[in-house]
Amino acid sequence: MRSPVTGWLFLAPTILVLVVFGLVPFIYVAVVGFFDWNPFAANPDLVFAGVNNYRRLVFDNQFLRSIGLTLQFTFWVVLSQLIIGYLLAQLFMRDFPLKGLFRTIHTLPLLVAPIAVGAAWRLLCVPGLGPLPFYLNRWFGIDFRLGSFEHQAFITTVVMDIWHWTPLVTLTLLAGLSAMPKEPFESAQVDGANRWQTFWHIMLPLLKPVLITTTFIRLMDALRTVDEVWMLTGGGPGTATRYIGLHIWRVVFPQTDYGYGAAMSLMTLYLTIMLCWFLYVGLVARKPRAS
Amino acid sequence: MNRRGLLSAAALAVLMSTTSFNAFADDAFWAKAAEPYKGITIRGVSESTPSSNYAKDVLAKEFSEKTGINIQFETTSWDQMYDKAIKDMEAGSGIYDFVYIEQDIIYSYLSRDFLVNITQSLKDNPSIASPTFKPEEFTTFANYFKGENGDLYGMPMEAFIKTYLYRTDLFEDAAVKEQFKAKYGWDLAPAKDHKQYREIAEFFTQYGQDNDLELWGTTVQASSGHPASFYEFVESIAPTYGVYNWGLNTETWAATVENGGTMNSDKAKEALNWWVGNLQYAPPESTSSTWDEVAASFSAGRAAQALVYGENTAWIATDDTKSTVVGKVGVALPPVEPGVMEEIEAGEGYIGYYDGGAFGVPHSSKNKEAALLFLQYIGQNDVQVDWAVNAARVTHQTTYDDPRVQEQDEKTNGYYTLMRDQGKLFGGAPAFPFHGQLREAIAPFFYDAITGSITPDEALDKAAARAEEELTRLGYRKN
Repeated sequence: MRSPVTGWLFLAPTILVLVVFGLVPFIYVAVVGFFDWNPFAANPDLVFAGVNNYRRLVFDNQFLRSIGLTLQFTFWVVLSQLIIGYLLAQLFMRDFPLKGLFRTIHTLPLLVAPIAVGAAWRLLCVPGLGPLPFYLNRWFGIDFRLGSFEHQAFITTVVMDIWHWTPLVTLTLLAGLSAMPKEPFESAQVDGANRWQTFWHIMLPLLKPVLITTTFIRLMDALRTVDEVWMLTGGGPGTATRYIGLHIWRVVFPQTDYGYGAAMSLMTLYLTIMLCWFLYVGLVARKPRAS
Repeated sequence: MNRRGLLSAAALAVLMSTTSFNAFADDAFWAKAAEPYKGITIRGVSESTPSSNYAKDVLAKEFSEKTGINIQFETTSWDQMYDKAIKDMEAGSGIYDFVYIEQDIIYSYLSRDFLVNITQSLKDNPSIASPTFKPEEFTTFANYFKGENGDLYGMPMEAFIKTYLYRTDLFEDAAVKEQFKAKYGWDLAPAKDHKQYREIAEFFTQYGQDNDLELWGTTVQASSGHPASFYEFVESIAPTYGVYNWGLNTETWAATVENGGTMNSDKAKEALNWWVGNLQYAPPESTSSTWDEVAASFSAGRAAQALVYGENTAWIATDDTKSTVVGKVGVALPPVEPGVMEEIEAGEGYIGYYDGGAFGVPHSSKNKEAALLFLQYIGQNDVQVDWAVNAARVTHQTTYDDPRVQEQDEKTNGYYTLMRDQGKLFGGAPAFPFHGQLREAIAPFFYDAITGSITPDEALDKAAARAEEELTRLGYRKN
């Protein structure tokens, strides 16, 4: 006989893991955010600071700049990955020679750890040694130096992320496209719909759940990018690629400003949730217009 | 065999037997002292430097063979090393049994009571105190790793100066010298001041362009996203303009000129303008160069002169599997502004950075005794010479006199002699308990000066103001 107790017993391990590894650290970070705590300060103890750390955030130009940079980075990588991923998924829906091999090669970046991706791109970009600066200079006359030019560094981090994560988008969209029923497309063809109308009125609505899921996954990933960028640019030149994850890491670890770092982390989490919520409301939860 | 020959043979036999006996006795000590810890594994973390890699690849293996204590020795990047060590000591997790302590961080570690008192631990536990480890044999550099009580908290394992390296093949080329003199009116020689250094940099950059060579006038350790650039300025450039201790007033911790600091003084601004200005005569990788890349650029023959951490001198000058400038490396003191050398000789400052590090045992270590045995092993006089030859670091007074070191000294054009004779002109990092915290707060302004998004003058004004704000927040600044 099934009883609620049996259900809770089965759920208990999962709940325990969630509480220990999810809830407790979250509460700890939330509490630390209300204290001044730097172990290398004259007073290394926790000193209650109320909401002072949150007030500091509002006037912290570097924090605000990091948030702005992260939003720009996220916008460009997610948009590009969706477009390129969709085009590649459409390509893989067709038959062409060596399709299997090409699909395997295309998926390889996903298997590489982000830190290794950053290292590989760094080697590609070293002025005087790496192939990228060499060919960009030879073919287009571009003086490519990540350490000197902010816009080059920003664009390179975007391109690197697109290279790394587009295969994930392709694979998920490919799964969505493969699962689509043929009938609506056949009906549209019979009714004389052109390619754009078929895409807009049939393909996109059918693909919407997959697209939204993929967008959310990539959005949250992009907002917390650290390792690839840390390896490639270290957040530089200057602070041009110091995205929020990297900025928080620098404040919490090398600067050991634990209280402020905790407040920053919570504020970033809040902004991420808000962004996702706005997106959710905009894309999913919007009420259908009355006809 | 005549009498003299007989006596010599007898003396040699006695010497050999004594040496063998001593070696046997030493081995017996390590085996006996390590008996209770045989089979255990101690873990250490260090920066991947020539000195640490030698300790990992050679000394750790020797120690394991003699003691049966295994060593997991992690050598990683500078950032990662600190990240791992500090997290471990802060959390008290006991992952590491010994950690690398760079001279500039020791004061922060001591203020947090992270480290075991080595002197006291050996007194308290005489069974692990090696008879061949004698702290009095260290050079005075060991003083940087002592606490206020005079006890040792870190076992010195590397000490070197940041020297001025130049390409002897270029500087001694008759045609080049003639061209140089015709252009600048003085004989080409290692620069004594910043003006000369700049003229040499300008000349060789032009020389590289004219002769279609991958050659520039100087390196600049100017990574625009890594603290290496900050360090090159505060440790190696600002002092040569007479700005010491990062420009902080060490009594009040003021940084701005109006409050008694020198971080944004005219001298400091002149220094930063000069240093940033050198970028136009440096290889294109300079704005991504940390200490490692500077050594790599110079060893690849891409610069005529450079300020290079001395630990790299030996391999750059002698190892033809890594360096293209073997036999072409000269060493000299860094250039200084007129009048600064007099200040330094009077003991009022320092010419550059006397860098180095030690290994310490964290309180959180679970194998303190075994770690202390390893630290003594690497602190013995006997293991120093090969280490010095391979990694250009010297921590013991007698190392300089060894024939192998003297031979290496000749190959490096006098690097070891320079360190022994002129080392007094260099200084370790100032005793800041807030070292990393202040660096993180102000380094971004230096990065911005490198990229040109703000001027060097603005960078120093902003850095000085930010430094005071941070030190006030940390509770150190006194008005």
